[in-house]
Amino acid sequence: MDDPYKILGISKDASLADIKKAYRGFAKKYHPDLNPGNKEAEAKFKAASHAFDLIGTEEAKRKFDRGETDEQQRHAYEESKKNGRGKQRSYYNTQQDTGRYSDQFSEGFDTEGLFDQLFGGRGASHRSRATSQKAGEDQLYHLEVEFIEAALGSTKVITLPSGKRLEIKIPAGIEDGKKLKFKGLGGESRSKGPAGDVYVQLGVKSSDVFKREGKDIHSEVAVSFFEALLGADIPVPTLDGQVLLKIHSGATTGSKLRVKNKGIGTGDQRGNQIVTLKVVMPKVVDQALKDEMQNLAQKYSYDPRISS
Amino acid sequence: MNLPLRRRLEEVCQRCGIEEEIIRQFLQEEWIHPIDLEHNIFDDEDIARIALISELRDEFGINDEAIPVILHLIDQLNVLHRKLKSS
Repeated sequence: MDDPYKILGISKDASLADIKKAYRGFAKKYHPDLNPGNKEAEAKFKAASHAFDLIGTEEAKRKFDRGETDEQQRHAYEESKKNGRGKQRSYYNTQQDTGRYSDQFSEGFDTEGLFDQLFGGRGASHRSRATSQKAGEDQLYHLEVEFIEAALGSTKVITLPSGKRLEIKIPAGIEDGKKLKFKGLGGESRSKGPAGDVYVQLGVKSSDVFKREGKDIHSEVAVSFFEALLGADIPVPTLDGQVLLKIHSGATTGSKLRVKNKGIGTGDQRGNQIVTLKVVMPKVVDQALKDEMQNLAQKYSYDPRISS
Repeated sequence: MNLPLRRRLEEVCQRCGIEEEIIRQFLQEEWIHPIDLEHNIFDDEDIARIALISELRDEFGINDEAIPVILHLIDQLNVLHRKLKSS
């Protein structure tokens, strides 16, 4: 436990009046409402308040001096603080974003005028300019891009409502919802400050063929019973167009094959494409095929439900 | 998420450890303007303001004439702080 006498900067034989005086000194200097937003002051105020609670009354001081203020009592005190006033928001916090009490001053409160008063006439410092000149509004636009454009990167040109043309380089592998920032292209400032920024949020369209997982692309390809049984080279769509994929003899539904460097990204940083096979039976099974199969089945029958 | 908090006078007294008579005095002096004056219902802001006034009196040793002056300055300080943060 921290020594409350030390925190309040007084000696052990200080009287109650001295303790109160020392505490008031701290409170006046570090009260959070007199130091809005100052975390250090808040911490000092809390420490002083805690110290005062430990030795601020005759009874508490006597207990503390006898060493009877043990950890358990301290814990009980902390709990009571939490349940009582400690849980309450400080007045400063209630007035931050809105606040009925401060709102009554808000209208007609001329910040610029105040800064002129504070800094004007003395060679108007950089600081006064920086704080009184408000930047223009930021603007947000939405741009839909194709799956493949987001995966491999591309360049788009859009025209802003202001008539400005904006060339947007879409980085390879960008994810849905990401925003690109264009500094200074937003709204003009009304007080000679910098212009706002433009943000372009990308919406990546989904693909019927490809699914993205990190840097890899997943796709599914249908193979015939014969291709699966005998092995074959089958055409598979990739982000770069079709490639021929070698299917080994005996491949089955769910077999996964990897096509290197056909994933998300550029150059040697690209991920892979994972192709999952799906064995598809003929839509119509004619009698001749059935008969042939009957013969083969007698010869080569197997039980697929026995795990090897 | 902070749900809007509304409390009756007795609850505020209990929460802040302040006697009802004292809070009635704050109301009389118009240092606080409860969110629902008719029914004496207080919100988060009112309660924090009551606690602040109580601290100013009891812990700072500030007399009743100076309280409205200090509240006024604190409110202006808060507005200024808010404006600076948003600019």
